[in-house]
Amino acid sequence: MDKTQFYKILKEKIVILDGATGTELQNKGMPKGACPEQWILENPNAIIDIQKSYVEAGSMIVYAPTFGANRWKLKSFGLEEKVREINIELVKLSKKAVGDKALVAGNLSPTGEFIKPFGEKSFEEAVEVYKEQVNALLEGGVDLFIIETMIDIQEARAALLAVKESTNLPVMVSMTFQEEEKTLTGTDPITAVITLESLGADAIGCNCSTGPKDMIPIAEKMKKVSSVPIFVKPNAGLPIVKDGKLFYDLGAKEFSEYLDKFARIGVNLIGGCCGTNSEYIKLLSEKAKKYTPKIWKEKRESAVSSVRKTVFIGEKTPLQIVGERINPTGKKKLQQELLEGKLSEVRRFAIEQQKKGASMLDVNVGMHGINEKEIMIKVIENLSTFSELPLCIDSSNPEVIEEALRIYPGRALINSISGEEKKLKKLLPIAAKYGAMFIALPLDDKEVPSTAKGRIAIIDKILKEAKKVGCNKEDMVVDGLVMTVSSDNKAPIETLKVIEYASKKLKVSTIIGLSNISFGLPERKWLNSGFLMMAMAKGLNMAIANPSSENLMELKMAGDVLIGRDENCKNYISYFGNVKNENIYSKEKEENTRDKIYNSVLKGEKEEIIEFIKDALDEGIQPFDIVDEILIPAINKVGDLYDKKEYFLPQLILSAEAMKKGFDYLEPLLLKKDNNKTKEKVVIATVKGDIHDIGKNIVGLMLKNYGFEVIDLGKDVPTDDIINKAKESNAPIIGLSALMTTTMVEMKNVIEKAKKENLTVKFMIGGAVITKEYAKEIGADGYASDAIEAVRLAQEFVGNNK
Amino acid sequence: MDKNIKYFENIWIDPPIDRILYRLGYKKNKTRLDENQMANIEEIIWEGVSFCHPRGAFLILPITKKTKNSVTIGKHLIESKSLAELLKDSKEVVLAASTIGMEIIDKIQDEIKKENSIKAVIFDSTASQVADKTVAWIMDFVNKSLEKEAKKITSFRYSPGYGDLGLEYQKIFFEELQLEKIGMKLTKTYMMVPEKSVTAICGIEDVRKDE
Repeated sequence: MDKTQFYKILKEKIVILDGATGTELQNKGMPKGACPEQWILENPNAIIDIQKSYVEAGSMIVYAPTFGANRWKLKSFGLEEKVREINIELVKLSKKAVGDKALVAGNLSPTGEFIKPFGEKSFEEAVEVYKEQVNALLEGGVDLFIIETMIDIQEARAALLAVKESTNLPVMVSMTFQEEEKTLTGTDPITAVITLESLGADAIGCNCSTGPKDMIPIAEKMKKVSSVPIFVKPNAGLPIVKDGKLFYDLGAKEFSEYLDKFARIGVNLIGGCCGTNSEYIKLLSEKAKKYTPKIWKEKRESAVSSVRKTVFIGEKTPLQIVGERINPTGKKKLQQELLEGKLSEVRRFAIEQQKKGASMLDVNVGMHGINEKEIMIKVIENLSTFSELPLCIDSSNPEVIEEALRIYPGRALINSISGEEKKLKKLLPIAAKYGAMFIALPLDDKEVPSTAKGRIAIIDKILKEAKKVGCNKEDMVVDGLVMTVSSDNKAPIETLKVIEYASKKLKVSTIIGLSNISFGLPERKWLNSGFLMMAMAKGLNMAIANPSSENLMELKMAGDVLIGRDENCKNYISYFGNVKNENIYSKEKEENTRDKIYNSVLKGEKEEIIEFIKDALDEGIQPFDIVDEILIPAINKVGDLYDKKEYFLPQLILSAEAMKKGFDYLEPLLLKKDNNKTKEKVVIATVKGDIHDIGKNIVGLMLKNYGFEVIDLGKDVPTDDIINKAKESNAPIIGLSALMTTTMVEMKNVIEKAKKENLTVKFMIGGAVITKEYAKEIGADGYASDAIEAVRLAQEFVGNNK
Repeated sequence: MDKNIKYFENIWIDPPIDRILYRLGYKKNKTRLDENQMANIEEIIWEGVSFCHPRGAFLILPITKKTKNSVTIGKHLIESKSLAELLKDSKEVVLAASTIGMEIIDKIQDEIKKENSIKAVIFDSTASQVADKTVAWIMDFVNKSLEKEAKKITSFRYSPGYGDLGLEYQKIFFEELQLEKIGMKLTKTYMMVPEKSVTAICGIEDVRKDE
């Protein structure tokens, strides 16, 4: 059967699929834990009976019982070398059962392994595992393919590609959604449709996990965006265990009553999953006869997707900003990290741009000295789980683009395909194969046209060639080609003409690389945002830009409202509506220099505190008075606020840092007057056997902020080293840290040793498992649950706790 | 579900901002924080998140023997009354582990060296919460996978070092889950490296008819 025949049937009637296989096999005696495929081959009549009953009940398509007949799944039963024969035999049984009364679909299901980027198995390995099964199913003579019960969109893509690269037979793909309408790996129904239909699924649906009721909203969402038929296969309600056996709580009659709803939504194929049987299918089949099927949309959406999100592009959607920052050009730190294979800077840019309002992320890793393909794959694998934003694959190397599209677990945007012959020939078929959207760049082998006329000719040519390989204009985004205004003052007008032509005449989406416009000129943000407004008025849909530019984003929000792309001004209000300039410190007076210093500590503002202190000194206030009458009362007030929970740790730290900055400035002046005044010392260490020192290090920092001299011995420190250092430095305090029950006992050894050696020192201890009681038990002088308590203890120990 | 180890190479964890702030002492309706301060803190949290690489693994194992004070999981005898109580209705257990990698740990230490306490404490809190949420995500993933078998995981999970479940049982997790594969190590004193790693065990129970 070819796709035309498949669609022809679906246009005539709602097609009835089969019901459950697994639960029916169990009813026929298949023991728990058995390999279903092997059990079926040993008990062929069981599947023949089940499938015959489905056909008699009205099933027009029956799934071959090859659900787990892939190499990885069969491996758990030691049958991985029998993939071919098992699949061929199972298809034969199905064909024998249904005769010429129904079609047999080769069934591909999860391999039981997790695929990259989510899991550890490579995407190509997964494709190969499925291809092996697909070829065996083809040999067995299946009429079409069904990929079902998929929880991971990437694994569904691997199976779909395996089918597409092996045959032209129709292929249906079905995902399993949980109650919150997401797959276990976070894909929603709309995103599943956008990704799978672009990769060539001929019908898309959902099965298992929920009963019919919970599948209604999923089917509705799918139908709304899908340009292929939709199908559902719900469970017979929810599973329950009764007397050690598994049951489902929805009877055949109640189950079939949902058909009306599904038919009205426009579901084109329907069957049953776990817990259903031929009775369910019979009732569905009878009811379905009343309905004329709803036909699916003709054109697919202009949309891109990631694993967890879809972004629509069009005249009704807001201007979409493609974040431009993930590009090593001119970014030394990013360059260095990419050379070292590190990705934290990439992730930082991803987060920053997402938070600032980007809809997509442009990814360009082209630079001298790296393997672009390798790094691009690494970045995509990382970003496609790390960020929910769809990616724009930006490379001048077609091979890099192809490899990236193959492993990207969504529908990407290619940046870009120009009118150059080689690029057209190579990239358009790739875009078509992977269903990617692409940016059409109006330049060719001869020139970069300076006029709109020249660019329009190239755009028309690209579209014509694209259509030849199966792409549509909904898949294309025209680049207006922004040139620098400082070198050609007519350039912006030409770009605007291209945008107008593409959006108004050609009715395709448009994009610009915005910042080029202002290159070489001062105060670039005005030119950038000014041009953006003009382009939006001409119909611009997307801009590659830096979303961190507030000016740009604010104007974009306004522009969306003014050209009717922000319904009820919703986005505008949510962007600006919450801006409050509440000042929680507004009650604090700020009349004179003393107040200014006091408030700097209170607010944790260290930037100006030195200036304020200089002013105070000029006014004749003595250094000692600044400390005693301003800084210390201020930090004490902060301490009070912290105790009342009106301040929390970060605020306390900021204040302590401001205080330290002021104190450090005053210290030499204080020393002049009081030669005896030195900082108190504290020796701190994580005890022997324990390697955790983050908490201890934070305590060290806070002690420093509060004017102590900290001697940090690090982690895993032997008892003798701690004792010796305390003796040598004459420190009055030792702070010990341990995180684990197994290492906290070392604290006792240190304290005992100190006593034995008659060391007059106060011990304070802390760490995740330490308690006040434990401190008492081992003879420590105090316990601190956090850094600020440690500071207070230390102050108490040295009698400086006013 | 297969009885073999499953590894998650990349897990997306939305930073639990409320819990990160709570860990830093933030009390809703009490702590006074203006929007700018909150925005700055959130920015540091997200920066911290960019240094986290949440990964994990899980494995389902049968309980081979149970007494009031101990359970035997596969070949491992675990003496713990509280774990035995937790697993009283279970025939199987889920062993899970998560880590967020070394990069964030190095960053925290960097910030400490630079005496940038704010970043150090916020990164630290972020890292702890992300690691914890990662193991919770894995347990939730297993729980959802079990739904169709009318099974669920126990409401609580235990980790070595908590209550009477000795830290030495950490080695069972490392042996069974082969955690070196996701960059985790166990020291002689049963400490996990990277520091922000979590192991957890919970039971699998049948969903009763009234649930």
